[in-house]
Amino acid sequence: MSQPSLIVALVGNPNTGKSTLFNALSGLRQHVGNYPGVTVEMKKGHFYLGEQRVDLIDLPGTYSLSARSPDEMVAVDLLLGRRREEPRPHVILSIVDASNLDRHLYLTTQLMELGEPVVLAVNMVDVAEAQGVQVDCAALARETGLTVVPIRANRGVGLDRLQAALVQAAKTGTRPVPVPLPAAFEAESQALERELSGELPPFLAHRLILDVGGTIEQWVVDKHGPVVKQHIEAARVRLAEAGHPIPAAEARARYGWIREIVGKCVTRPSERPKTWTDRIDHVLTHRVWGTLFFLAVMFLVFQSIFVAAEPLMGLIEEGTSWLADQFQAQIPEGPLQSLICDGVIAGVGGVLVFLPQIMILFAFIAVLEGCGYMARAAYLMDRLMSRCGLSGKSFIPLLSSVACAIPGVMATRVIENRRDRFATIVVAPLMSCSARLPVYLLLIGAFLTEGFAWWVPGLTLFGMYMIGFTLAPLVALLLKRTLLRGETPLFVMELPAYRLPSLRVILRRMVSAGWAFVYRAGTLILAATVLIWACLYFPTTSPDGTPYPERIAATADEAEQHSLQAEWKAHSLFGQLGHSLEPAFRPLGWDWKIGMATLASFPAREVIVGTLGIIYAQGEVDAGDADQRKQLGATLRADIARDPARGPYRVPVALSVMVFFALCCQCAATLAVIRRETRSWAWPAFTFTYMTTMAYVGAFLVYQLGRVLVDALGA
Amino acid sequence: MLLPLDMLRAGEWAEIAEITGTADWIGRLAELGLRHGCRLQVLQPGSPCLLQVADCKLCLRGNDCAQILVRPVVAA
Repeated sequence: MSQPSLIVALVGNPNTGKSTLFNALSGLRQHVGNYPGVTVEMKKGHFYLGEQRVDLIDLPGTYSLSARSPDEMVAVDLLLGRRREEPRPHVILSIVDASNLDRHLYLTTQLMELGEPVVLAVNMVDVAEAQGVQVDCAALARETGLTVVPIRANRGVGLDRLQAALVQAAKTGTRPVPVPLPAAFEAESQALERELSGELPPFLAHRLILDVGGTIEQWVVDKHGPVVKQHIEAARVRLAEAGHPIPAAEARARYGWIREIVGKCVTRPSERPKTWTDRIDHVLTHRVWGTLFFLAVMFLVFQSIFVAAEPLMGLIEEGTSWLADQFQAQIPEGPLQSLICDGVIAGVGGVLVFLPQIMILFAFIAVLEGCGYMARAAYLMDRLMSRCGLSGKSFIPLLSSVACAIPGVMATRVIENRRDRFATIVVAPLMSCSARLPVYLLLIGAFLTEGFAWWVPGLTLFGMYMIGFTLAPLVALLLKRTLLRGETPLFVMELPAYRLPSLRVILRRMVSAGWAFVYRAGTLILAATVLIWACLYFPTTSPDGTPYPERIAATADEAEQHSLQAEWKAHSLFGQLGHSLEPAFRPLGWDWKIGMATLASFPAREVIVGTLGIIYAQGEVDAGDADQRKQLGATLRADIARDPARGPYRVPVALSVMVFFALCCQCAATLAVIRRETRSWAWPAFTFTYMTTMAYVGAFLVYQLGRVLVDALGA
Repeated sequence: MLLPLDMLRAGEWAEIAEITGTADWIGRLAELGLRHGCRLQVLQPGSPCLLQVADCKLCLRGNDCAQILVRPVVAA
């Protein structure tokens, strides 16, 4: 490795097969680079051509280099070598789709202005040929002056030629000849460049005039004051008067050049043949059939999440209980054993059970995105979402939030409009996520199964999901009318051609989602369970001075042991705090045990099942284990029935707890993700406050109304 | 004869005569290939509607379509 490594930036429109090419070139040698201050993630990989190491940076898919947000500006700055953490790329690899050359070359013409060698990879030549579109790559190279390599990224065809072309382009360093823009425009751009004393490279001076209200304009005006803004606007007016209105002048110049070149290099049939995508779309974008198909797909996704995950969840449960047994056998009874078995293994194990569901969900999302169906779903749902002031693009994040709000919040990155994006982020945690499911199952099983008609449990569960489905759009609408008020953003979206998703991309998504989840279980949830365990374990001494463990060991009667356990919990730090907070819980119909278990679940709502288990002296209770779940349910019901004040109202109590969980933002990780995505603490604070308030009010109303109803029915 | 894009029916072809709106919007549509003089076909009318522009499919809302004036043409 005597030579320094060569840096190549990969740029292309969305759906050109850019990710496939990146994966094919760099294989497993890749990682994700995060950039400070923005939510952009750029993948980096490398390969060797002989001795030469080539580093590849995969920029997010974009239609142009007009930066409309700081996130988009990162890509432009990186290409120009204006970011400190990244050296300027030596070569730009522009990937275009052979069957859509006219439009994709638009971005290429912008890349040609950056002053770095550009290699043009024409992808999916086979698909284009099947449609009767012939691309003459030799002619394309001659006309554009770029190195042109035809490839089939999904089959790995043409990649060695492409690699060699990249290295060769860096060696010769030939700069492309930019597409000529009107002379009057060049003059205005140079004048501005001089006014800013050469601070901007020529490319950015161009963009300063062309991108009305863009990020560069905002940046320059912030720095140099409103005088510059007047000058920029005056320049635009002069150009419009000279017959070069901005931004139409840019499109005219670039597309004019492209039309000429494509006319020389591409032959296409006089009539565009009907493709497979057209035929499939005829049904899948149909208002009736398409919607029915969409509902069927969604049902299939959720159903298989539950069915397919079941055996794997059983395996994880067996694994954790085996591990607990091992520790129980190896470590002498005492605080350490209790910490490991009742705290760590019960708490973290109960959460890890959901790993298969998370991975299956991500596999589905990757498949639906990879084959191009997601855009169709967004198209179909736009009508519904526009009623609550959002667009079809908000639909996918909300749907993902039914599994988990964290990927849901991250999926909002596809929404360009800031207000829409924030409204979606703030309501995403209202969707009932998979962590709420164990809570619903426990309480419905305990209170709404025996003595009720067969359809009551199913309907209650459905009702709990409906709470999120109805409230999320309503809250979004309210936000769009108040805090996030603004003009309805213009909505335009491309529906890419259908294609087979790449298995490698799917697996990668599954593994990275699974790893993120395990990491969370190993850090945050571990810490929370250890803390709860400690608060329930200490102080160990009973009021008469003897430690509880001794008193429990002294008696052989099991009932006596259980009541001693319960007394110990009631005297623990946790119990004492719970008793003092009881006045706050009482209007909701909760006793200190439910109240404290709920409070303890604020870092992660899954914690409640385990906490209730420890409080009700059951030892560890695994949220996923059906038998133990039933047993805990029975204990819970018996405990509430014994209470004279709440006994008759046990159904309202259960519903009040469920409604609280449906509405409350009990997930520290979600709040952390909201903070990361919005880059402010205000949004997570707002989300937490409004959801917790809604949860308290909702639970209060359910319990009080339920009580009135029970009294009326009883009388 | 010019008419707004949202008045075309399914399967009809047209050529874009004029796009009005903010510079940002016009620029964004141009990037996606929707520009003065380009030919399109309406696949699904309504809001949002589905358009075939060259070799790609785009979806737009009805009221945004009203800002695009087109000249209907007989299918080529």
